[in-house]
Amino acid sequence: MISEFLQDAFFAAIAAIGFAAISNPPRRAYLYCAVIAAVGHSARFLMMQESLLGLHIVIASTLAALIVGMLAVLLSPVAHTPAETCLFPSLLPMIPGIYAYKTFGGLVMCLYHGSEEAFDHYFYLFVSNGLTCLFILLGMVIGATIPIFLFKNISFQATR
Amino acid sequence: MTTMRIEASAAEPIALSDCLCGESHSLKEICLFLSEYASWLLGSGATCIRLERNVNRMAKAMGCEAVMTILPRHIHLTVCLPDHSDSYTYITASRTMPISFDINTRLSELSWEIADSKISFDEAKEKFESIIHTPPANKNLVLLLASCANAAFCRLFTGDWQAVAVVFLSTIAGFYLKQVLCEHKMDMRLVFIICAFVSSVLGATDALFNLGTTPEIAVGTSVLYLVPGIPFLNSFSDMLAGHYICSFSRFIHAVILTCCLSFGLCGGMLLMNMGMF
Repeated sequence: MISEFLQDAFFAAIAAIGFAAISNPPRRAYLYCAVIAAVGHSARFLMMQESLLGLHIVIASTLAALIVGMLAVLLSPVAHTPAETCLFPSLLPMIPGIYAYKTFGGLVMCLYHGSEEAFDHYFYLFVSNGLTCLFILLGMVIGATIPIFLFKNISFQATR
Repeated sequence: MTTMRIEASAAEPIALSDCLCGESHSLKEICLFLSEYASWLLGSGATCIRLERNVNRMAKAMGCEAVMTILPRHIHLTVCLPDHSDSYTYITASRTMPISFDINTRLSELSWEIADSKISFDEAKEKFESIIHTPPANKNLVLLLASCANAAFCRLFTGDWQAVAVVFLSTIAGFYLKQVLCEHKMDMRLVFIICAFVSSVLGATDALFNLGTTPEIAVGTSVLYLVPGIPFLNSFSDMLAGHYICSFSRFIHAVILTCCLSFGLCGGMLLMNMGMF
């Protein structure tokens, strides 16, 4: 468990650095993105473990995003960047990409298979993946945005 | 940039606004500067709430008030004197550019420097010019980091090391292709379809050559570098801030790109005779 937890944190940090690079942040932000993503993703990993809290991915993502949001807001004056610069790249490893394209995959398969049974199956996959994706995204953004609005003075004055 | 001006009182004398630093500038000058600033900040991937706060902060420091309508492709900005005796309105097209948190950060710093009267209006204009001409990050470095990130993503989804290696190579090929096609100004939707197709075909080699035990994870994660995460996050953030039109526009943009990526992925999987589920 500890080894899996550390692996999760390590690979989430690498993913955050790489995906942050695509959105071209200031160099000083990379380290903060890596640390915040590692903490957030590993926290979600722990919350989803059956032997610990066993939370559903939507609730775990919301709570993990809240942690990520708090850290990003508190560290943004230290990094001297807007809170979103550290926050959004740190959230990217948690974006439900697999669910997103499985949603569209399900839709395509609905059209591809004519029989009622197959259609029902793929329509179920389309709706279940789509709803999971939507609610993970919504939960993540609500969780991550709450600290920005709670600590407006910190988050909007970080670059002062 | 395409711009359109609406001037309410062209024949009247130009109204002057007194900055906190003691300078006087015409409303027109201030409005043009703030419009250009807003266009770049929105284009760099800032949320609507940040855009409003930064522009209002600078307008206040320049001794006037600013009101904005943020539309999906345009920004409609009106600057007026505090007693509302004169105003100037400008509609500017928002910039279409790659997301840059570096430009976002430096423009936010600039807004505070103006608000705290650390620099004059002319210095601010010079600094703004230097910020918008910042060269983009090293492409090869971004290519390497993005490929490492996608490979790490594969590992996070419990892919084995063979899958990680396949995803790394398929991301290098797909992301490089994306950089080349973007340089040639190809339509972004087409770029997403082509890159997702190429990456998924290469990602499917794990199954084709029986390299590892998790080929479905390799092909599934090989296209994740294309998921438009920032537009999705920005759209939901704008929705929570009450900017529904901008939020909806950003959401639709992100959904269309995800459709394109799924289309390319489905094509790649059909070609390689792999099932998605």
